[in-house]
Amino acid sequence: MKEKFARWHILLLQYFKRDWKKIFIWILALGLFSAGFIPAFEEMAKGDGLIGMYETLRNPAMVSIVGPTPIKEASKYTLGAMYSHEMLLFSGLFAMIISILHVIGHTRKEEDLGLTELVRSFQVGRQANSLAVIVETIFINLILALFIGVIMISFSADGITTLGAFLFGFAIAIAGIIGAAIGILMAQIMPISSAATGSSLGIMGLLYLIRGGTDISNIKLSMLNPLGWVYLTYPFTENNWLTIIFGLIFSLVIMILALSLEGRRDMGAGYLPERQGRANAKKTLLSIPGLFIKLNKGTIISWLIAFPVLGAAYGAIYGDMETFLESNEMMKQMFTYSGISIEESFTSTIIMVMVLLVAILPIAIVNKLFSEERNLNLSQIHGTKVRRSQLYWTNIFLAGLVSIIGLGLAVGGLGGAALSVMKSTTMNIVDFLVAGYNLLPSILFFIGLAGLVLGWIPNLRKILYIYLSYSFFVNYFAGILNLPKIVINTSPISWLPKMPIESFKFKNFAIITIVSIGLTLLGYWGYKRRDMVEGA
Amino acid sequence: MSKLVKIQGLEKSFGKVQALKNVSFDVGPGEVVGFIGPNGAGKSTTIRILLGIIKRDAGSAEIFGKDVWRDSFEIHKRISYVPGDVSLWGSLTGGEIIDLFMKLHGSGNREKRDYLIERFELDPRKKSKGYSKGNRQKVGLIAALAVESDLYIFDEPTSGLDPLMEQVFQEEVEKIKKEDKSILLSSHILSEVERLADRVVIIRQGEIVESGNLDELRHLTRSRVVLETEGDVSKMLEVNGVHDFIQRENQGIFSADHEHLNDILIEASRLKVKKFEVAPPTLEDLFMRHYQG
Repeated sequence: MKEKFARWHILLLQYFKRDWKKIFIWILALGLFSAGFIPAFEEMAKGDGLIGMYETLRNPAMVSIVGPTPIKEASKYTLGAMYSHEMLLFSGLFAMIISILHVIGHTRKEEDLGLTELVRSFQVGRQANSLAVIVETIFINLILALFIGVIMISFSADGITTLGAFLFGFAIAIAGIIGAAIGILMAQIMPISSAATGSSLGIMGLLYLIRGGTDISNIKLSMLNPLGWVYLTYPFTENNWLTIIFGLIFSLVIMILALSLEGRRDMGAGYLPERQGRANAKKTLLSIPGLFIKLNKGTIISWLIAFPVLGAAYGAIYGDMETFLESNEMMKQMFTYSGISIEESFTSTIIMVMVLLVAILPIAIVNKLFSEERNLNLSQIHGTKVRRSQLYWTNIFLAGLVSIIGLGLAVGGLGGAALSVMKSTTMNIVDFLVAGYNLLPSILFFIGLAGLVLGWIPNLRKILYIYLSYSFFVNYFAGILNLPKIVINTSPISWLPKMPIESFKFKNFAIITIVSIGLTLLGYWGYKRRDMVEGA
Repeated sequence: MSKLVKIQGLEKSFGKVQALKNVSFDVGPGEVVGFIGPNGAGKSTTIRILLGIIKRDAGSAEIFGKDVWRDSFEIHKRISYVPGDVSLWGSLTGGEIIDLFMKLHGSGNREKRDYLIERFELDPRKKSKGYSKGNRQKVGLIAALAVESDLYIFDEPTSGLDPLMEQVFQEEVEKIKKEDKSILLSSHILSEVERLADRVVIIRQGEIVESGNLDELRHLTRSRVVLETEGDVSKMLEVNGVHDFIQRENQGIFSADHEHLNDILIEASRLKVKKFEVAPPTLEDLFMRHYQG
């Protein structure tokens, strides 16, 4: 028994040395994300904010996304209750994802890469690596828990108790530990690391969806869900430590199971056979468009699912919109314009958010062409009779196409949900769609920029996301920050009318579309004549 | 017939680094040209220019009499290329990728594909993220060998392959050679080049330092001689044209200048020869001669 894990503590020390930068960023970023929004929530809670949020988040659509709260009446909804209600589940999910990736990356992936083979040739137990990685991950999550607790307390906000803050931290940590357990188990069962990662994240997604259902229908069933144990701790309200214990026992059992499975298998093997792929390609793959559709398929499909879901999540707010907006001065400034119906002004802002969200996908598709180039994946294709124009335009058109589809889904989801929860309104679904497609040229503008960057300065492609976030910031906060017009106009969204509160302007629509097409042409000119960057 | 590949005074810089200073060579019809040099000498850069992946700064480069940058589309209809580091899409299987490459090339032969998959012992149903380096290389090779081309460009094609598969590769290339196709084979595996190439071009720090057919180049070097005699073998030391002499009992090992071979033989026969072995210079020797400066 001892031999199997021989020298694991030496590996553990080594791993802390190897990973310390990653660990530092992990704890800092996730800690700040989980605990750092307290001042913003304090701001939101001012006035009748808590009551407004309570009404909004009690909506079943919201419960299925962020989880439930044990509070039964709005007057008892404290800052702490609201914070854990909105933040805990998502913070837990992030902790879980990072832990899964870390554990599999340092166990199964290293095995696939042949690193484990090297390590095992030394005087090191067969399973020492797995144990060391598990202990490392648990340790990181515990530090994270303490860090979160300390940050939360440091704000010394009303309703954020010491006990609650640490419970909040430990609830996130237990999510990470459960993730580590699932990861190490899948690492044994699956034949390769990517399958292990995929199935672990899949299990997590499934648990999330199931709890979304049981939270609404019968919350007791969520008690049987490992993901439920994270938010059913109810920090700051019921302070229920019991589910943390459940999580620990569960993780321990799964980890022991995983280690015993590992003890019985050969290195590099799994318990499930590797799925056999196709020996021959389908006809649909055999072209440049076919190839890039296939390469982007996963990304496209997941975003196209996410768009209507996010749209519907925002749409669900419309039912309680008035309470929501009336309750809070800051929100009111952001969303309302004098003399216009509240749902119309709200719509114009939310649609702007949806449009910027939709723009992420086409940028990712255009950038993908460069990462393919840099990863040497296209070397052999450059030796065939494929023109650069084909590579470039295929991706630009694909980006344009998914923008049009994605925008329709996002705005459709928003409008559909909004109309179904509003009791009386003058708006219909066409208003939503028109307001959405009115902003299409701004997405095209981002595609044009992406093409330009691809053609001339591909190494700076991350700039696009920075500019996108910047545009979001400018448009979202334009109202409250009283930004000068010249600053507001640095975002492409501002060049188009705010529908439905303003009317459609064909001239703006046409000019921005033409400019965007011009940018893609300029990008093509650069792409055609530059050196392909390979392996740099 | 005119040359298939013609490179004249090729230059290329990446920022301040001058990767190619002055590269000129050609590949004739039906000729296999070995392109050898250490890592970073400029082999891949030259090949990437030939494929129109990067643009030259100066000089001319033509394939089939067409400019490699301007007319790359026309040229690519009739060439096959395998990079030294075949990188594949992890989510596709080897079989799918081979089919895709063949389709994009245009003139694939299905039977030849299946035959090659079998010869190289590749599992085409496996997702390529599960492939080892050698298996990824096989995918590239099969895709390139299964199509009809006039010129094959291989950039260190056998890196990562085991010796058995290297053997298979060489046999398949010999078949293409018999069909009078031209091949540009960049490599630092000298035995491979020695076996396949008609002519060798040696590149070093962005410059061609030697080119010619193997026999010509061998004249520049010395043969390795192992001589065992009844008499005192150390007498050989005094003969003109004997270099690097090492004695082990009555066995002498030395390199011999080809123009002094006659003198060496006369002296050796006086000492009563028991054993006389001559090895022709290997590419290794050629190589080392250039790299040691």
